[in-house]
Amino acid sequence: MKDMAIWSEKLVKVYSQVRAVDELSLNVPRGGIYGFLGRNGAGKTSTIKILLGLTRPTAGQATVLGFHVGREQVAILERTAYVSENKSLYSNLTARELARFTRGFYPNWSDEAATKYARSFEIPMDRPFSKLSQGNRTKVFLLLALAQGADLLVFDEPATGLDPVGVDEFLRVLAQDVVSEGRTALISSHQLSDVEQVADHVGLIDHGRLLLEARLDDIKSQFRLIIAAGNALPQTKTAEVVSVTSEGNFCKYVVKQNADDFAAELRRQGATVTEVSPLGLREIFLELVRKEEVCTSGNVGGMAAAVSHSI
Amino acid sequence: MLLHINPSSGVPIYLQIENQVKHYIASGALKPGNALPSVRQVAADLRINPNTVARAYQNLERDGVLQTVQGGRTYVAENPTGLLKAERIRRLLPHARQIAVEGTQLRLDPQEIIDLVRQELNSLEEAHERHGDLVRKAR
Repeated sequence: MKDMAIWSEKLVKVYSQVRAVDELSLNVPRGGIYGFLGRNGAGKTSTIKILLGLTRPTAGQATVLGFHVGREQVAILERTAYVSENKSLYSNLTARELARFTRGFYPNWSDEAATKYARSFEIPMDRPFSKLSQGNRTKVFLLLALAQGADLLVFDEPATGLDPVGVDEFLRVLAQDVVSEGRTALISSHQLSDVEQVADHVGLIDHGRLLLEARLDDIKSQFRLIIAAGNALPQTKTAEVVSVTSEGNFCKYVVKQNADDFAAELRRQGATVTEVSPLGLREIFLELVRKEEVCTSGNVGGMAAAVSHSI
Repeated sequence: MLLHINPSSGVPIYLQIENQVKHYIASGALKPGNALPSVRQVAADLRINPNTVARAYQNLERDGVLQTVQGGRTYVAENPTGLLKAERIRRLLPHARQIAVEGTQLRLDPQEIIDLVRQELNSLEEAHERHGDLVRKAR
């Protein structure tokens, strides 16, 4: 799919019997900020590594900026900036020296941008990397990525070690510089509030599978929490009803779409609908991940689910 | 124009922006012909996605609330209620229904619900007059 910044079809990655990525089909539109969400071990980093050619997929195919992953890897790497999850370097070089070293690899590198971000992130440019705090190390990686002039920026947990001021500056840069210049950013994170603020599309994965992918505003417009009171309320989940929790005469439903119709149906059945309210991304995330747990671990309970995530 | 958004609320950010702009206009804080900050400026100030701001502005433009002139600047439309009355009523209907349903479920009687709406209309009108006074004094 040439018009997508990232496109994948049924990507699979198996690491010694663990399906880290499980038939993942992604559509990341160009010119936006895509929040790639999931808890630890959900398969986010494995997916990114496949897309950037750092590991081969077991099955499936993908394109990045229209170039085939695997066959056209050089073209992808030339146009993509990547900030990895692991933000350390065994280096006594200063940030200034690292920038000078990095620029040689990228024809679109901008010294002007590097200077601008050094100032706005308040990076100590002349101190050895090994002597920097974790937050300042992260900022150096962000600077090196942002100054490359890449069409696609991939950030794996970009906020590592950043204080609130650093995070705020990073969000400002994303909002002001990246999208306005027609570039695309993919942010992999479990910091939902940062992503919720700046992303326009989100993909939510768990156990290597895509649970939800849509425009964030559309997700928020459609998901609803409904609380109803009455006798013999429906207790079953459907394609639209993501979760049902009952307590006495009350039932709490999380509905994926057509919430008004569902509420109307409840009223028709004689129930009193006491609340229909929107949900934040955090609540939607928890509901969907919890649903997945029930589906995959059955009645074994929370323990089995917890163990399988820590692998 | 001072916008405030709450990203973690369940209300989409573009809707929060639309509602605030409409409120500023309804209360007279923004007047026909006033310029709005650029999409890029709002995005940078609020640390939100420019696509989201653009969506809010486009919706407001489609509704006849704003207009964008050549060169890209956006203004409050001179005739913000240019839509047919039937269309305006159609758009308000779901909100009226919501108020009726919520009010009934909270066991308020019809008169109390209507009074509440009237009270809000009055406070908008007062705000409008206040802004009018300010403008007159400034002159």
